[in-house]
Amino acid sequence: MSGLTERVIKVNVVRAAALYAALIVVAWCALFPMLWALSGSLKKEAGVSEPTLLPAHPQWSNYGLVFALMPFWRMLLNTMLYAGCVTVGQVFFCSLAGYAFARLPFRGRDTLFLLYLATLMVPLTVTVIPQFILMRTFGWTDTPWAMIIPGLFGTYLMRQFFLTLPTDLEEAAILDGCSPWQVYWRIMLPHTKPAVMVLAVLTWVNVWNDFLWPLVMIQRKDIATLTLGLVWLQGQYVSRWPVLMAASILILLPLLGVYAFAQRAFLRGITVTGFGGR
Amino acid sequence: MTRTRRRAWAGRVFVAPNLAALAVFMLFPLGFSLYMSFQRWDLFTPAKFVGLANFRTLFTADPLFLIALRNTVVFTVGTIVPTVLISLVVAALLNRKLMGIGFFRAVIFVPLAVSSVVMAVVWQFVFNVDDGLLNTMLGWIGLGPVPWLVEPGWAMVSLCMVSVWRSVPFATVVLLAAMQGVPETLYEAAKIDGASEWRRFVSITVPLIRGALSFVVIISIINAFQAFDLVYVLTGGNGGPETGTYVLGIMLFQHAFAFLDFGYASALAWVMFAILLVLTVLQLRFARRVSLEN
Repeated sequence: MSGLTERVIKVNVVRAAALYAALIVVAWCALFPMLWALSGSLKKEAGVSEPTLLPAHPQWSNYGLVFALMPFWRMLLNTMLYAGCVTVGQVFFCSLAGYAFARLPFRGRDTLFLLYLATLMVPLTVTVIPQFILMRTFGWTDTPWAMIIPGLFGTYLMRQFFLTLPTDLEEAAILDGCSPWQVYWRIMLPHTKPAVMVLAVLTWVNVWNDFLWPLVMIQRKDIATLTLGLVWLQGQYVSRWPVLMAASILILLPLLGVYAFAQRAFLRGITVTGFGGR
Repeated sequence: MTRTRRRAWAGRVFVAPNLAALAVFMLFPLGFSLYMSFQRWDLFTPAKFVGLANFRTLFTADPLFLIALRNTVVFTVGTIVPTVLISLVVAALLNRKLMGIGFFRAVIFVPLAVSSVVMAVVWQFVFNVDDGLLNTMLGWIGLGPVPWLVEPGWAMVSLCMVSVWRSVPFATVVLLAAMQGVPETLYEAAKIDGASEWRRFVSITVPLIRGALSFVVIISIINAFQAFDLVYVLTGGNGGPETGTYVLGIMLFQHAFAFLDFGYASALAWVMFAILLVLTVLQLRFARRVSLEN
């Protein structure tokens, strides 16, 4: 492998330069909307169309305006609360069921698992309307409860991971007289950290970015999420680009933090589950 | 023996909460949705059984359905073809062992973490007709101004551009992971046989990552076909200008949550589901046949 590296870098300098140039172009394409948004968030409203990336007099007050025009902190808190609850619930219930589906045989288990897999294939398009009516029947519309109903997609991921763990790990614990719960909680779960990390990051990002569900469920400002807040802001202050861009950047930042912190887990999760194509 | 039974019981208990949630939030809604598609119901007056009337209206009496279907197909094709081509090239580029490649991978995958809503707002700014970045840049080379989100045809082009921008990182992640699984020895052998780089890509890489390609295509079809967030925010929620970006996702949302025509919207949802199912099965069949022929 290192032989290949040396050949590519040393022997063919021109080709390496071309590759780097291509990489820079691609990276620029990926980033320029965000950089342009950052730049726009620091410009004066009148001069927002100037094609300069670095405004001469950065208008930090645009960020202050965001906090004045929308209850940003409240919405941030709501979003974190919803994302946190759903993530904890998803990780716990999916790892518990995933462990059972992988390691605790009972009659009809595999049929149940197939049913579970088939249900996951049903698109959101079909379920969103009846789910809305269900929430309405429960009286949960426009309450935080509607936002923390559990996701279930992680069961498959967790099951596959439990299947890869060696069986002698739990056999020793069973011989020592551990109950199935103790085997799961004390022995197996600590070994699934990589999978739990993948599931947690994916769930978090999913809830954070979700739009259709909060749009349908929530009307009140004080329980709204950030994506909802941004769309309301956009509807109210059309074409006030500096403020809109400042709000966009503020909503982006926490996710960029998560991405920087858990990039590997995030990308692995996307490869396995196919999320992120939206 | 008792230990086995104990473990079986524990298994049932462990999956119980999960299955209960599945039943309440997935299975019941699924059945209820099918039931609703045969009703006329606005939530406030009692539901009325109307047989296949919803489906009949959809196919014969609603000109907007055909427009939405056509727009959705255009959008899906306009997203998937460029996405697959671009992401193949980008994945091949990122699969090189160059210094700093990790940095480039991290940067190029950043859009994955960004929500469609935020991106749609940012892209509106980029597309702005009078003084947006794109038209300013086109002006430098003597082109434009293009009526990006204003003229129906261009609005669809704009929508596809943003959608491609959003799906390329996803497709690239999957394709890159597959490319990294291709054994190095195959390339070495081909090199010794004098195969050019292009030849190695077409004859070794592409056939060996066919599974991943198929996965990307299916997931992208499913997502593009149901597109909602991006369209709703980018072109103002009504599928405008005129019906330029009126896709099935928007139509479904409008009928359900604006017109409160839940029966009709459910019928539409099942038609979309059926189309998706057929497309997925066809795609899987096709992929299998291609792999058998090789």
